[in-house]
Amino acid sequence: MTRAQKTFVNWLLLSPLLILILLPYAVMLSTALKPATEVFTFPPRWLPENIDLSNFIVIWAKIDFARALLNSLYVSIGATILTLVLAIPAAYAMARYTLPGKGPLRLFLLLTQMISPVVLIIGIFRMMSAQGLINDHLSLILAYSGFSVAFAVWMLQSYFETIPREIEEAAYIDGANWFASLRRIFLPLAMPAIGVTAMFTFIAAWTDFILAFTLLRTPEKLTATMKLFYLVSGTYHVDWNEVMAATLVTTVPIAIIFLLLQKHIVGGLALGAVK
Amino acid sequence: MSRPHLLLPFVMLVPSLALAIWIIGYPVADLMRMSVHAVNRFGRVGNFVGALNFSEVLTDPLFWASFWRTVVWTVSLTFGTILISIPVAFILNQDFAGRGLTRLIVLLPWAVSATMTGIVWRWTLNGQFGMLNALLTELGLIGQPIEFLATGEVAFPVAILIGILAAVPLTVIIFLGGFSSQPSDVFDAAHIDGAGPVATFRYMTLPLIRPFINIAIVLNVIYAFNSFAIIWILTQGGPANSTDILVTYLYKVAFQYGKLAEASAMSLMMFAFLLVFCTLYARFAIRERAW
Repeated sequence: MTRAQKTFVNWLLLSPLLILILLPYAVMLSTALKPATEVFTFPPRWLPENIDLSNFIVIWAKIDFARALLNSLYVSIGATILTLVLAIPAAYAMARYTLPGKGPLRLFLLLTQMISPVVLIIGIFRMMSAQGLINDHLSLILAYSGFSVAFAVWMLQSYFETIPREIEEAAYIDGANWFASLRRIFLPLAMPAIGVTAMFTFIAAWTDFILAFTLLRTPEKLTATMKLFYLVSGTYHVDWNEVMAATLVTTVPIAIIFLLLQKHIVGGLALGAVK
Repeated sequence: MSRPHLLLPFVMLVPSLALAIWIIGYPVADLMRMSVHAVNRFGRVGNFVGALNFSEVLTDPLFWASFWRTVVWTVSLTFGTILISIPVAFILNQDFAGRGLTRLIVLLPWAVSATMTGIVWRWTLNGQFGMLNALLTELGLIGQPIEFLATGEVAFPVAILIGILAAVPLTVIIFLGGFSSQPSDVFDAAHIDGAGPVATFRYMTLPLIRPFINIAIVLNVIYAFNSFAIIWILTQGGPANSTDILVTYLYKVAFQYGKLAEASAMSLMMFAFLLVFCTLYARFAIRERAW
């Protein structure tokens, strides 16, 4: 088979899946560009008769979507930073020092990374409630970090172990103190793993449903995900054109970041998902 | 190199461990306490009742209905996802024009979240104005629109398909890792010896990715068992609990029906199940990494 033939066959085989994955994007775009009057016509049509960009304005003014996006960014970035600050030293300690009970510790980390908040949700709600943290973004940051930190330590440690200890020791002999050799030599070398771990933590927080659903109460605190969920649930009339404009605004930046970082992501994900 | 004091590594470890233990340990302890006491709907813990809450759960027909639905959900989601992901990862590991683009598209649903996928599909599947009905009508496949989410018999299989779509990206990544770590010289040798593509796949590729299949099964079972968002967004477990799986039913028992003690007992049983599965995963992972 020539490369051209192979390309054709492979695209053909993948096409059903690609269409299914891209269909929602076509739907989002089609609906987001329609005026409300065209959304609720029967039978529905794919192409709008009049392209109406006002949906993209309405979502800022009417449903305060900018605040929801900022809330999402705030909790996701907060959780990522907290997770890294806690996980980097822990992973370093586990990679570089002989510790008693290291085996059981790794097992504990592996087990906790697999536990999802859903089955513990009643306990988490009561715990945050006892701390007075209901409807407070801090509760989300703490919970996201709590559920991500084990995985982060696990992943960072695997990578840290591949960085030769001799490089740090050479810097130490050359007169750098322990902290300086850590900061100047070790951390730059560890950046790829830290980047992938950060991305994992960020996406886990950004895509969360159950914790935000349980711990947030008032409209101005909602994350983008929750805002969209409340827009489509509970009410009899849903302004789908506005909802689709908002989902488009939420998903397209992520898709672009994904496009820009894809080489690192695929490599890093393979590392993280399997190891 | 003079090592820092032995205390230092512990100081470095303790904060992250403390957070993980707090966020998991406190809820588990609280659930244990509630599960053997009477708890009113405001969360006040009353008398010790022994195993009463557990027997309440185990005699609740809706619990069993959700339980069996969870089995169907988890098994079909895991099986379907792996069945699709192996050939997809196999293709994505080949060298062809536009591979980067196809990889990107396949992995996209992971980054945009199950919630977004659920919301857009809920609109796409809308019985009257949804685009899927429009598409199927235009293609002449159906005469009149289908109410995809109005009955459990249709909504549940539809939810399974969407769940598979959301689970494919991470599973593909696992298998991509598997395929890319395969030694190419062995395959060259097989090719020279005259093995065709089918024989190569059957007798070489499959055995080599066997450990990755184990990991994919365990991860997908855990993912499917815990997946709350897709069902909650599409149907909220309705109509009349006909699409509830255990996690959505648990949420209702706790926060809508206000039966906190029974919900705690249910939580603990689900937690125990997960723990068993996680231990299985740990065993596979340990065997893989040999530490």
